[in-house]
Amino acid sequence: MPSPFFFRRRSFSAASLPICASADQFCPAHTQWEVLMVSWSGRRKALTILAFIGPTLLGILALNIYPIIYNVYISFTNRNQYHPNPDCTVFLTSVIEPGCWPMFRSNAGMGQPYVIQEPLFANYDSLIGKLFTGEGVLALVKLALLFAPLIIAGQVNKRLDRQLTRPVSSFWVWIGGLAITVLLAWILNVGGAMKTLEASSDFFIVVFRTLLFVVITVPLNYIFGLILALVLNGDYIKGRTFFRAIMIIPWAASTMFIIMSLIWQFFFREQGTINQILRAFGGEGLAWLANGNYALAAIILVNLWFSFPFCFNIILGALQSIPADQYEAADVDGATYWQQLVNITLPLLRPSVMPAIVLSAIGGGGFQMFGTVWAMTGGGPSQGAGVPGATELVMVYAYKQVFQYNAYAKAGAFAVIIFIFLFIATLYSMRISRITQGAYE
Amino acid sequence: MSRKPRPLVLVLQYIFLGLMTLFALYPIWFVILASGRVGSRLYTLNLLGMFIPTEWTFENYQVMLSGQPYPFLTWMRNSLFVAGFTTIACLLIATSAAFAFSRFRFYGREFGLILLLAIQAFPGVLSLVPVAQLLTAFKLYASHWGLILAYTIGNLVFTTWLMKGYFDTIPIEIEEAAMIDGCGPIQSFLLVGLPMAKPALAVTALLAFMGGWGEYVFASVLIPAPDVRRTLMVGMYSLANTQSIPWGYFAAGAVMTIIPVILIYTYFQKYLVGGLTLGGVKG
Repeated sequence: MPSPFFFRRRSFSAASLPICASADQFCPAHTQWEVLMVSWSGRRKALTILAFIGPTLLGILALNIYPIIYNVYISFTNRNQYHPNPDCTVFLTSVIEPGCWPMFRSNAGMGQPYVIQEPLFANYDSLIGKLFTGEGVLALVKLALLFAPLIIAGQVNKRLDRQLTRPVSSFWVWIGGLAITVLLAWILNVGGAMKTLEASSDFFIVVFRTLLFVVITVPLNYIFGLILALVLNGDYIKGRTFFRAIMIIPWAASTMFIIMSLIWQFFFREQGTINQILRAFGGEGLAWLANGNYALAAIILVNLWFSFPFCFNIILGALQSIPADQYEAADVDGATYWQQLVNITLPLLRPSVMPAIVLSAIGGGGFQMFGTVWAMTGGGPSQGAGVPGATELVMVYAYKQVFQYNAYAKAGAFAVIIFIFLFIATLYSMRISRITQGAYE
Repeated sequence: MSRKPRPLVLVLQYIFLGLMTLFALYPIWFVILASGRVGSRLYTLNLLGMFIPTEWTFENYQVMLSGQPYPFLTWMRNSLFVAGFTTIACLLIATSAAFAFSRFRFYGREFGLILLLAIQAFPGVLSLVPVAQLLTAFKLYASHWGLILAYTIGNLVFTTWLMKGYFDTIPIEIEEAAMIDGCGPIQSFLLVGLPMAKPALAVTALLAFMGGWGEYVFASVLIPAPDVRRTLMVGMYSLANTQSIPWGYFAAGAVMTIIPVILIYTYFQKYLVGGLTLGGVKG
């Protein structure tokens, strides 16, 4: 759309703005509004806008953009516990370190100053270098091949959907895709490939585990939210208001996740609630959080408790906006409950629920999960010295690198790689979910 | 989809609802029970005591409120201070930015909006070191004001998007009418547009407040100083990380921390669901 230039100095008149000349042109309400603002000169408008978004801009610049640039810089140095201090004689360091700025210059600490790495990409190399050797690439390709049957199944389904009558239901196509995947995994010896990759870098273990966590936890949260919303959307259920009020409680408690995670951690202790109940029924207690797999399962369960009310409320809101006549028409045609669910409810839920799903997968409830893990296991149980613990997800790993090992430079490189990945994921998700619709209008 | 299902299905649905209710409520109920137990055990040896109060004492609450050995009320005041100022700052800054993004058209607007979202992809934990260094340089390290600054800016992206989404749904014609009656664009927004955005303001305030109230990582790093300057979450976490954990006190503190929040959320439920779906999250 035509936008008046921000820095245009001379005042502009209504005639100079080609706004909504013809009636058939798409013409958002805001554009009309600008016609009323044309009395403002360009400079005055620029100053007003700057006054409004200035504080935000300044804050974002200082506490969001600056840390990113800092991390990028530090990832090319050898800053760690042995070289913790800035060397203010190096130009780039003196620019980027607040301690080197003239007005804040303090006497630097006693430790060795850090220097730029030689070779430049040494930190990145130690993190992911081994993944790009011949063996590593082969293993990565094997892993990537596993997704081929599933992608093909998706495409086949799309093609079948265009036909008037499907020869097989989409369910069986997916099952077939999965079966081929399993077969392929066996043929390609993916287990062996995984072992190679895990041995070659911490980075792979941590990221793979985090992705696994996201792939399990996010759908689980939304499935529970969906079932609950479907049940509570029916007006035959007595006490719906009561149940809805109950379901908001974990949501409220999730804002204080550190306290609630500690309570949950208690449930899973060796002398905790779950084991006590098991013992009362003659079962054997288990040290749940001392076993890597159980610990991860426990974290997924706790995350379910924190997240399902949000998913439930989002889905319920979307359900209530589906017009009832859709179902009436389906009833007339004799569609069963399941047919209505698959062919009406789910497709109509998609546009409003998809952005929420993507955002929670990228955000603090998914890929960037930190607090719950930190309070429950602290990244443990340990898998041996120098290897990430069994529940050390991406953020926990980064936190430990910085605050326990003081490996600033390595953590910086790690952050930069993760940032690139998340940045692309965010932009892509904005495209598919179109949450930025307003920005493009 | 409100056909009455078969009786068996209906029973299954009620069973599911019951289980989910139990799942949702039990951890909270457990803390309440534990807070009234004598001694420092979080669990009791009889199974019945896990589900219904077999014993009850207010001793734990008295200890927590007395300030010895844990300055619980001071922690709470610190958290209220930090969260309160975060809320105010967030509302002021985010509202003005959201207003500009929603009502003005200017060069770099789309870029700015997308930039806001994309920089969120940077792991917050890893911006801690540079943020701490920056705050140290400005003499704001180990001060509540530094924490307020960090929280406010941390919340800005989400709140700006939320409010902008809501402002976009308010018809511009109403403000135009006010402008014809002689208001300036900003005046008309303040007097006419803003009052209509009350639900979004309520949700933003609530989320900003809760963000400040419940945050742990930044608070634990940016306020390393003695016990009395800690916020509630850091204090409670330190309580649970001592050698012999005083679970009874911890539970009493947890109840006093969580129950008010649950009440606030229940009260704001309507706004919360409506504000979120109308604003940022909806497609």
